Amino acid sequence: MNRKYAVRSVRLCTKDCLCLYVCPTGATDTENSVIDISRCIGCGDCADVCPSGAISMVPFVYPEQQPKVEKVVAAMDTLLKSKAQQERIAAALPGRLAKALEMSNRIMAEDIVRESGYMLPQSGNSRAFLQSLLDEPQPHKFPRDAVETLLELLA
Amino acid sequence: MRVYTCSLCGFVYDEAKGSPEDGIAQGTLWNRLPEDWECPLCGAAKHEFDEGGDEIETVRTFSVVSDTLPEAKSALEKSILCSNLARGLEKQYKAEEAALFARLADFFKAQSEPADAPAFAHLLEQVDLDIRENLVLANDAAAEAKDRGAKRALVWAEKVTKIQKSILGRYENEGDSLIEDKEVHVCSICGFIYIGNALPDRCPICKVPNWKFDLIKAG
Repeated sequence: MNRKYAVRSVRLCTKDCLCLYVCPTGATDTENSVIDISRCIGCGDCADVCPSGAISMVPFVYPEQQPKVEKVVAAMDTLLKSKAQQERIAAALPGRLAKALEMSNRIMAEDIVRESGYMLPQSGNSRAFLQSLLDEPQPHKFPRDAVETLLELLA
Repeated sequence: MRVYTCSLCGFVYDEAKGSPEDGIAQGTLWNRLPEDWECPLCGAAKHEFDEGGDEIETVRTFSVVSDTLPEAKSALEKSILCSNLARGLEKQYKAEEAALFARLADFFKAQSEPADAPAFAHLLEQVDLDIRENLVLANDAAAEAKDRGAKRALVWAEKVTKIQKSILGRYENEGDSLIEDKEVHVCSICGFIYIGNALPDRCPICKVPNWKFDLIKAG
């Protein structure tokens, strides 16, 4: 069994507060609306009763990245490079339309890279990417500490 | 992620897979294994293991991707990868990790050299190339591999790219009057660009409700 814990979307929460009544440990009753993971026992009662669908049960351990075929990865990578190039051009142009194009290309590029094997931040691919950042020479002011912390937190 | 092979019996410890039989979760790094951990097959101590193993097997079972990328990623591509992973962590409600990836994304974006002689005409050429070649090849590859995730991303990207082409074509003719007195919004999910003053309730491409759109402001 993959153990789970409850999380609350503050944006969706309509403060009906049924979760406070059903939670057996008080984990849902917090001053900042974030469910206290240290108290959550993963029973799921809060998610079941929530009238606004604001509470989700998420796993402690996510499943592995779906495998990707080499040919798909290569084709997606070519497209990624093209969209990145367009983001770069748009970023150097003035005006609202250029800004919109810069953002639009970034969003497409993120989706493309996600579907080329980088969906899950916890996956082997994502971790290998982080490790490669530590192994390669990096410019001055590279936030090495951020990479090291991520490798620990995503272990 | 790395693999370690027992020099005595050949058992392979794969960090990605862990060793569920003896209670070691998938993703457990070698240096996080207890010092008294033993080879589940032959009981050898940790120091009997050598890093590496059947490399081909490893590539096939957990990381089809990382060794097949044709070229290294540019600074901007690294930024894109990092902002994608930041989004993934936001979705998982992991704010600390998301902020760290966002920091990396900002760092690599700042590292990226500005484009030489940028022009809207170059964007139009590149968009054309995507429609004629890059999207076609990617669609074929995704169809052949029955990769519906890639296909989904490509369906959205193709529509958004064609919309970009149309906007860029109009901009070439009309110039700034194209957006004069009009709002410009970008769908934060698929990249759809809306120009006008009657924002649709839902994104026509990915169908997300319009509060997920970002209004583009001047300056």
